Amino acid sequence: MACSVDTLAPFLGPNTTNAVAAASYICNQFSGVSDRFVDTGYAIDSTYLLFSAYLVFSMQLGFAMLLAGSVRNTMNIMLTNVLDAAAGGLFYYLFGFAFALGGPSNGFIGRHFFGLKEIPSNSFDYMNFLYQWAFAIAAAGITSGSIAERTQFVAYLIYSSFLTGFVYPVVSHWFWTPDGWASPTNSNLLFGSGVIDFAGSGVVHMVGGIAGFYGALIEGPRIGRYDHTGRSVALRGHSASLVVLGTFLLWFGWYGFNPGSFNKILVTYGASGGYYGQWSAVGRTAVTTTLAGCTAALTTLFGKRILSGHWNVTDVCNGLLGGFAAITAGCSVVEPWAAIICGFVAALVLIGFNMLAEKFKYDDPLEAAQLHGGCGAWGIIFTGLFAKGEFVDQVYPGKPGRPHGLFMGGGGKLLGAHIIQILVIIGWVSATMGPLFYILHKFKLLRISSEDEMAGMDLTRHGGFAYYHEEDPKLGMQMRRIEPTTST
Amino acid sequence: MASAMTCSAAELFPHLGSSANATAAAEFICSRFSAVSEYLTNTTYAVDTTYLLFSAYLVFAMQLGFAMLCAGSVRAKNTMNIMLTNVLDAAAGGFSYYLFGFAFAFGAPSNGFIGKHFFGLKEFPSQAFDYSYFLYQWAFAIAAAGITSGSIAERTQFVAYLIYSSFLTGFVYPIVSHWFWSGDGWASASKTDGNLLLRFGVIDFAGSGVVHMVGGIAGLWGAFIEGPRIGRFDRSGRSVALRGHSASLVVLGTFLLWFGWYGFNPGSFLTILKSYDHTIRGTYYGQWSAIGRTAVTTTLAGCTAALTTLFCKRLLVAHWNVVDVCNGLLGGFAAITSGCAVVEPWAAIVCGFIAAWVLIGFNALAAKLKYDDPLEAAQLHGGCGSWGIIFTGLFAKKEYVNEVYPGFPNRPYGLFMGGGGKLLGAQVIQVVVIIGWVSVTMGPLFYLLHKFKLLRISRDDETAGMDLTRHGGFAYIYHDEDEGSSMPGFKMTRVEPTNTSTPDHQNRSVNVVV
Repeated sequence: MACSVDTLAPFLGPNTTNAVAAASYICNQFSGVSDRFVDTGYAIDSTYLLFSAYLVFSMQLGFAMLLAGSVRNTMNIMLTNVLDAAAGGLFYYLFGFAFALGGPSNGFIGRHFFGLKEIPSNSFDYMNFLYQWAFAIAAAGITSGSIAERTQFVAYLIYSSFLTGFVYPVVSHWFWTPDGWASPTNSNLLFGSGVIDFAGSGVVHMVGGIAGFYGALIEGPRIGRYDHTGRSVALRGHSASLVVLGTFLLWFGWYGFNPGSFNKILVTYGASGGYYGQWSAVGRTAVTTTLAGCTAALTTLFGKRILSGHWNVTDVCNGLLGGFAAITAGCSVVEPWAAIICGFVAALVLIGFNMLAEKFKYDDPLEAAQLHGGCGAWGIIFTGLFAKGEFVDQVYPGKPGRPHGLFMGGGGKLLGAHIIQILVIIGWVSATMGPLFYILHKFKLLRISSEDEMAGMDLTRHGGFAYYHEEDPKLGMQMRRIEPTTST
Repeated sequence: MASAMTCSAAELFPHLGSSANATAAAEFICSRFSAVSEYLTNTTYAVDTTYLLFSAYLVFAMQLGFAMLCAGSVRAKNTMNIMLTNVLDAAAGGFSYYLFGFAFAFGAPSNGFIGKHFFGLKEFPSQAFDYSYFLYQWAFAIAAAGITSGSIAERTQFVAYLIYSSFLTGFVYPIVSHWFWSGDGWASASKTDGNLLLRFGVIDFAGSGVVHMVGGIAGLWGAFIEGPRIGRFDRSGRSVALRGHSASLVVLGTFLLWFGWYGFNPGSFLTILKSYDHTIRGTYYGQWSAIGRTAVTTTLAGCTAALTTLFCKRLLVAHWNVVDVCNGLLGGFAAITSGCAVVEPWAAIVCGFIAAWVLIGFNALAAKLKYDDPLEAAQLHGGCGSWGIIFTGLFAKKEYVNEVYPGFPNRPYGLFMGGGGKLLGAQVIQVVVIIGWVSVTMGPLFYLLHKFKLLRISRDDETAGMDLTRHGGFAYIYHDEDEGSSMPGFKMTRVEPTNTSTPDHQNRSVNVVV
């Protein structure tokens, strides 16, 4: 929209004085319009990002309800979720955001914007912080599922702060900032391609899932989860309604998570004025997300029906979420038909990892490590296979002809970069969260006592049970808490 | 900006020389410019309206949050009652706010006390207001009524709810919002005639006073006049916690309120497409940044209040208690609501920290005075709301005040930020005036209802639970197949297929937590 008086004046005739005046008058008009368009662009993109952030925040509500319904120690797990959000807010404000997005910096960690200093700037505004914070607490929410029902509250506070304030921000710095060593927007691309983890199958889901894996592995299964002969005993959650409520809220929030990761909606692809632009890509992302989840749910439904003979709503919910976790990496760069493949395989991956977990007597009350870690890893590989060249060039502009999916004829470079991503994330989270959980374990801060566990932490640590029923005050408060007893 | 956008052919024509075509050329160029300019104006309306509408939807989600919070915080036997109240707050509120509430609040031009136009949305939409604005203000009005319903839960007749709710949404609340938010209000910070209270008005950006204190103080009078629930204080006067029946619903409600607060606070800007002075920071800085900042201050205040409450309660009662943390969180939000747009993020942390202590203090006071508020609504929204108003008088930053309330440069700002005590003075006046106004309207109303025996339910009803006596049965129906019991008791068995043998339902008698 730049309008130059010097360029325009010669066209307006030989009378130089008049021509310059006319040209500057016209150019003033243009720059007035242009300024207003710039404002409009900021307003529209900010509105889009803010509401996406609100949607991602509602995933925290989804996690809380999903966890609450899936366990027996309801008060304990819900407090964890409220505090993930609250403690995460403070830590991410103080240094998490700086570690993640504090550019210019090195490839490993950011170093500006501590305590939101110098925000807003040309590159980041407050809503970027809000959006990234909502992502960070989602990672912590995933982990809390794996170690539910047997972890001390202090351990939660420590791991949650560490994860949100350090481990997660560093990973997001690697893959999502122009400085990051594996970022697709880095000037010096890994394998000439960089890693395409659009909304964070690896950065968010694998990080949360693997952290949970170490926590659950180190503290061991819940009492009664495997009987004396080593057979698996399902410790069912106390409310399927809450599980479904939580799943739907997560689905709702995922529309902020995946399509919102574009950050901006007012971007044109190619020439201006066409109907096709970033808004179309945003819409396509919402469609791929939906299809992957739906396919995974149906696959799980029939898969479980064949395997266990039940139409089980909790398993379908988990399958659905597995599909979402998988499509998150590639949601913006694949065709809708590919999303169906992604969801189908994700359901099988989840079922497979669950069988594996049972074989190794690994107990994860919410299947969080299998779901977010396993399906997340599949999603990263899936992107390396099915990313479409045209979409990749549009979503990551500036370097035409990028490597894209192997099956789409884009060669193996992207797939190679993605395998590196999986290995690096596993390594980084193992090297940080593994020792943390081990130290907590050594200092006896990790697992609750078996008396506490048998009685339920709500009673011993949280001032009573979540549900409270009484008939007549004169008879005293009578309460029946129903929980699945150990197997016959 | 608007003046620069008016292209005048007459102005342009002389520059184009003396040729015959000059007029035509000038007219052509200018007509193109006006077309673009009109298109931009339409775009601005569409962007701002989209922003306001979705904010209104978020604020409406708070009603859902209140319903779940109230439902979880009362005993199972009164769940139906309280949830019906919340549905009707929204429904009756919509009706009375449409008929006259909006007119009382924003019916300009009028006097400083009450508005007098737009009854039944007549003359809508106008240059000043569109339908989306009505929707947004309605969502605020029902939030105030929702707050009050928490205070008087579990012991109030349903007729009393209907009466107070219509009165509050249709009259008491609109008048207060007229005073502080409309262009005519006597204490408004955006008063159009330039004759501001103490020459600058009160900064209650999203309504710590207008919404939260009004709702909280109304609840205070209601709960005070009808007295505590049976069993809330034992014979020796000790406080007995009557715990709510479902912590899951409390957490659900709290998170939904948090979610909705992003419409409540940042949404109160009403428009997002507005540039601020580019010379200060650059073109990237505008109202959108201020909105983002507001969302951040809101988040940080709530987070800090939650953490503060967690550790305080841990020290005081030795439990990690989720319900208390939820209330602390909401207290932080209620406090930051007033100053959210004009304070720095670090100040929001201070706000939340103190809000948690204010709530704990007021709760201790309430227990001492034998005041029973099932949802701590008066303490939370009234107490933390007042702290929020004072906080704004202390921490409002000059630059932000001038951006958010343009037109009067050199307004006073926060005392601690070097802005003198004038703003604080105005804020104190606001606190006093709101307490006074709500007391003289809602106090007598509740007292009359009490005198006519319309306020409190009978002792039998209260003991048995209103759901059974007034609402056609309990909210939860549990079947105990083994006993085939049809008694409306609380036999909690899970109805779902299980491979295990039927669980042994051992009665666990849990003594009341003292």
